[in-house]
Amino acid sequence: MREVFALVRASFRTALSYRLSMVLSLGSLLFTVVPLFFVARALQPTMAKSISTEGGVYFAFLLVGMIAYTYISVAVNAIPNVVSSGVGTGTLEALLATRAPLPSLLLGLTGYNLLWTTVRAVVLLIAGMFFGIHLAWSQIGGAFVVLVLIVLAYLPFGLIGAALMLAFRTSGPLASVVLILSGLLGGVYYPTSVIPKGIQELSAAVPLTYGLRALRRTLLEGMPFSAVAPDVITLIGFVVLLTAIGLLALTEALHYARRAGTLAQY
Amino acid sequence: MRESLIPTPGPERARQTEAAPAVVLDGLSKSFPTRRGWLETIRHPLGTQYQRVLQGVSCEVREGEFFGLLGPNGAGKTTLFKILATLVLPDSGTATITGLDVVQDARQVRRVLAPVIADERSLYWRLSARENLELYGVLQGLDRRAARSRAGQLLEVVELDDTGSKLAGSFSSGMKQRLLIARALIASPRVLLLDEPTRSLDPVSARRFRAFLREEIIGRQKCTVLLATHNAEEALDLCDRVAVLNRGELLAAGTAQSIASEMGNDRYRLWTSEPRHPGIAALAERGVVESVAEVESDAPGWAVVEMDIPGGLERAAQVVAFLTEQGARIARFEYVELSLADLIERVVEQRGGQGRGEEQEKRGGMSMEPVIDGGNADA
Repeated sequence: MREVFALVRASFRTALSYRLSMVLSLGSLLFTVVPLFFVARALQPTMAKSISTEGGVYFAFLLVGMIAYTYISVAVNAIPNVVSSGVGTGTLEALLATRAPLPSLLLGLTGYNLLWTTVRAVVLLIAGMFFGIHLAWSQIGGAFVVLVLIVLAYLPFGLIGAALMLAFRTSGPLASVVLILSGLLGGVYYPTSVIPKGIQELSAAVPLTYGLRALRRTLLEGMPFSAVAPDVITLIGFVVLLTAIGLLALTEALHYARRAGTLAQY
Repeated sequence: MRESLIPTPGPERARQTEAAPAVVLDGLSKSFPTRRGWLETIRHPLGTQYQRVLQGVSCEVREGEFFGLLGPNGAGKTTLFKILATLVLPDSGTATITGLDVVQDARQVRRVLAPVIADERSLYWRLSARENLELYGVLQGLDRRAARSRAGQLLEVVELDDTGSKLAGSFSSGMKQRLLIARALIASPRVLLLDEPTRSLDPVSARRFRAFLREEIIGRQKCTVLLATHNAEEALDLCDRVAVLNRGELLAAGTAQSIASEMGNDRYRLWTSEPRHPGIAALAERGVVESVAEVESDAPGWAVVEMDIPGGLERAAQVVAFLTEQGARIARFEYVELSLADLIERVVEQRGGQGRGEEQEKRGGMSMEPVIDGGNADA
């Protein structure tokens, strides 16, 4: 874990050297929350019935959806991005030549992004509370576990993206496809129950569907963890399956890159 | 005793020397797939063209030795280093570092070997020099306190202690190069790989940097060093032994003197008032003298002619006697010591032609067009 902390710290120090960007990153959240609040308030009467089992307040529903979506964006994009820039600058080669194990390097290189997203999520929630959102503090632990599972379910797409980056110098449309489909079918902006029947079945194949439903029910409804167990178990299934695929893809791609000599070639 | 220019396989050489072998290469070969055009890809979608970058490279470097790897761009030096650094897998042959196989024991190899093969962009430019070193110290297995202490020591060693808290991005090329060396030394490696460490330095900085390598790396750290360079004078300045690599083949290995005595003891210079004397032309025509060339002379009325006279001193004496007999006016006749660069050129000329037809391999069931230069070999 020492290596992970060292890399996270290095990323933090690097980010800290761009102070204005850091401040703007937090400040811009306010400009997200305010219009979101007014749009949600306008749509509340229309949405109230369909989101009654996920908090019932459309603004809170949207805010939690957006927070989860921010996390999955980071999970899907962070690893391919660090691999891409690391290949370009030679940092990746330098890191791989150290004795640090690959999982520690990947976790360390993406850890800061996830932590910073957490800071942004907390700011969003505080802003949301300022606009009247009520959180079920008693279930915050359960909600956190669900959030971690959501991230873990999407990190493998990042591993696959990194594998594509190593093998083909581009991850292609993978990240966009995953994020667009998750946004449309995973219940970020509306509950999956309002999706037309023919397409609704597709949302069952999206990990975010289960994650968001469980997250909203624990965090906004105050449901105990046991009540969302079916969604959590499905999410764990996604985590196991996708992680195995992701690790296999990355291992193969790394082996290929070592054979083809392309670890530092962009 | 003369040292053979044909590199001997590792085990045999090990018996000849006292110091333990630090790096042993045995029949190391590597090919990279080459980029194909659209037409070729459509014609043979499953076929792959390969560029041979290393071909049966065998040699041995002893502990504490400063070993130079010389060769032009695309010779395969960087690929060889990347194989040793476990960043590239060889196709065949073996490479061991202090007895550890670079493929089977890759993780342990990284404990004893440190490469300086990436350029200065591989530093974290928005971190200070000290932070860069501390980060890599931890990644190399030191705890944070030990990494901090070692970083402090190394900043002094590379004379960056005054600027240790400045961002690495604000450093000059020379300072960044020294920081890269310090980064490599952070875990006290036994073997250090330096890939053209002075390539981005001006001549004065390069000289200073070489002095640093001589005093610190050779003198104090006692590392085994492999230096890849295409600067022959740099190799001569620093290395105990050198090897010449060209198009992936190790053409010669030994001390600069041994290579000189084998390849370069036949160049002579003749001061004459008649550089186009028919006697010289006759000797060249018969092949007694080779590579005859008139070079600039600062003595008015006298010309300087350089020529190779293979066959030792006896043949050189016969040449002088013949020219005198033919009435050529000779003021001076002397042996010319070749620079290492000339020697390398000669090694490449004489031995580089071998096996050229084997450069391309056929894989995937398609015919191959000859591809000469390695695209990514020394990227």
